[in-house]
Amino acid sequence: MTKFNAAEIASVIQAEIEKYTDAIRVEEVGTVLEVGDGIARVYGLSNVMAGEMVQFPNGAIGLAFNLEEDSVGVTILGDYLEIQEGDEVKALGKLLSVPVGDAVIGRVVDPLGVPLDGKGPITSTESRPVEFTAPGVAGRQPVKEPLQTGIKAIDAMTPIGRGQRELIIGDRKTGKTTIAIDTIINQKTSGVKCFYVAIGQKDSSVRNTIKVLEDNGAMDYTTVVMSGASSPAPLQYVAAYAGTAMAEYFTYKGEHALIVYDDLSKQAVAYRQMSLLMRRPPGREAFPGDVFYCHSRLLERSAKLSNALGGGSLTSLPIIETLEGEVSAYIPTNVISITDGQIYLQPDLFFKGIRPAMNVGISVSRVGGSAQIKAMKDKQVAGGLRLALAAFRELEAFAQLGTDLDAATQSRLDRGYRMVELLKQPQYQPLEVVDQIIIIYAGNTGSLDEIPVARVREFETEFLQFVRDHKSALRTEILEKRELTAELKTALTDTINQFKATFQKKAK
Amino acid sequence: MAQTGSKRAVIDTARQRIGTVYAKALLGATEKAGQTDSVLAELDSLVADVLDKLPDFEEALRTPRIKPEDKVLMLDSVFGPKMSPLLLNFLKVVAQHERLDCVRGIERAARKLFNQLRKRVEVLVESAAPLSNQLQYTIAARLKATLGRDVVLTADVNPDLLGGLVVRVGDTVYDGSLAGKLKQMQAVTLEHTTATIRESIERFSLT
Repeated sequence: MTKFNAAEIASVIQAEIEKYTDAIRVEEVGTVLEVGDGIARVYGLSNVMAGEMVQFPNGAIGLAFNLEEDSVGVTILGDYLEIQEGDEVKALGKLLSVPVGDAVIGRVVDPLGVPLDGKGPITSTESRPVEFTAPGVAGRQPVKEPLQTGIKAIDAMTPIGRGQRELIIGDRKTGKTTIAIDTIINQKTSGVKCFYVAIGQKDSSVRNTIKVLEDNGAMDYTTVVMSGASSPAPLQYVAAYAGTAMAEYFTYKGEHALIVYDDLSKQAVAYRQMSLLMRRPPGREAFPGDVFYCHSRLLERSAKLSNALGGGSLTSLPIIETLEGEVSAYIPTNVISITDGQIYLQPDLFFKGIRPAMNVGISVSRVGGSAQIKAMKDKQVAGGLRLALAAFRELEAFAQLGTDLDAATQSRLDRGYRMVELLKQPQYQPLEVVDQIIIIYAGNTGSLDEIPVARVREFETEFLQFVRDHKSALRTEILEKRELTAELKTALTDTINQFKATFQKKAK
Repeated sequence: MAQTGSKRAVIDTARQRIGTVYAKALLGATEKAGQTDSVLAELDSLVADVLDKLPDFEEALRTPRIKPEDKVLMLDSVFGPKMSPLLLNFLKVVAQHERLDCVRGIERAARKLFNQLRKRVEVLVESAAPLSNQLQYTIAARLKATLGRDVVLTADVNPDLLGGLVVRVGDTVYDGSLAGKLKQMQAVTLEHTTATIRESIERFSLT
């Protein structure tokens, strides 16, 4: 148990008092006219700026949100039940900022940077404004490095680059969060700092997410910014920007960061609530007119910085929950148009057992091949996978008519079934990119055609283990060259055949 | 000049806004007639001596149940002989527009506009004990020198300040009170001390 020496503390306080210099405080103040639902209308504060922090007598922080002719609309980031009419509000003369730096890594914090995990105070000397202008055209460079999610289907068909914004969209319970969590877990060796922003979610599910991250050792490089369903709307709204500010610190230091917004539809709802209470005019689906800007300025902050700025990157994975697959609702269309691609998850695929339940046809990544290493891009690996799967689905629909099929068609169908089976992946088990290349190569070159569909996944696990155990030189070579040369391909095919012989023998 | 009680009553912004419109009109009329000072003094006294002391009468003026014509008659019979015709006419106009509920807003706005017109600033000085007239005069003179404008000083007593002065110019507060200083000292000391303790946590004995 820690026991403090009272005399020492007294001497510290005494030194403080001796150093204390007296100055008349000059403050800009206003008076609360009305308060409720997390917002307050304040009379006075005539020189306050939009977005400036104000403080209530109980210590709660507010944000000047609406500047009107004779009053100021303030959103309260904290307990608003103690605030009363007539209370004096002080302008703090600074913009909302949060603590940043290595001190926040591995922590669970609220949107103001206050720790929620009971691991003591965050001792950070640096802070960053929550609202920050996105880098301009000259401050960026094209996205070119891959951010490996560890998920075969995504890394092969909708690759994500560092600095990209890839939307994860789907109905409830289709595995949206799982994709994000897998991606975070897969950053264990990549040095990418991860930020998981939970907005308007059940505290219990966030607790589970944190547990998964802890169990997989991912909390060592991850920060969870948490604003649950019971937090006031202003906090839920600010959470996304606060998390981005924490992530940006690393980006501008030349490092790489990944941020997951889970989810932006809830953030939009919180913003709608604030705006309606502030009497801003409602637009489509009662969202305010600037809800697009609310998301676009947030996602514009994800970028691959130019070398002059250090070459850091901020990748974001915003999540949007749709209702009954309705992607043409207001918020989904907005965010689809802002992001550089989307991963579309469908419940029917999910229940068919295809997990991740990604609809390959309409999921895209606008960055594409430049976010893949050359070996993955190879024609015999992921190069033609998207088109092949599209052709397979067409054929599959046709085959359901029950007509007799010629041998060629039947073999293409068989290949397709195996590829679909191969792209399934259990949750929280991200695969290294070299393993992905090896197994997709095996599937694409037809080596799996004789394996029964039901045993494809068993083959995958055992084969990858076999390569790790007996052919580690081959793995390292692929990783080092980042390209599948003709010799490597032959070596790989030989390995596959060698393993297949033992695998089939075992089956008999 | 010294008055006790809070001068920072919460105001009704909607009525205040309407009041500003009427106050502008009133000031326009009085400036033309050259009676601004006397009319504003009368208006002040209407609020302080009549409305504040006779809440029932204020209620009668405010209520929409009495017809505007009756209110005009009432104003005539109550104020007719004493009030300047200009202010009385103004009140009648306000009554006809059914805006008598805004009289307080009008008064406040008229004061403010008048001070702006004369390039004066309103200053509220709060102190723990009542200030003597001499002291108020000195404070006003010093403020005039600092702010570079004529000062309309209002004094208020707030025992919670313990000592010193709090000067409010518009929305800006210059806090030189003892209570404020103690609070500030508490905050600064607490912050620095915790920071020091956190930095040198290993210096403190572990048992």
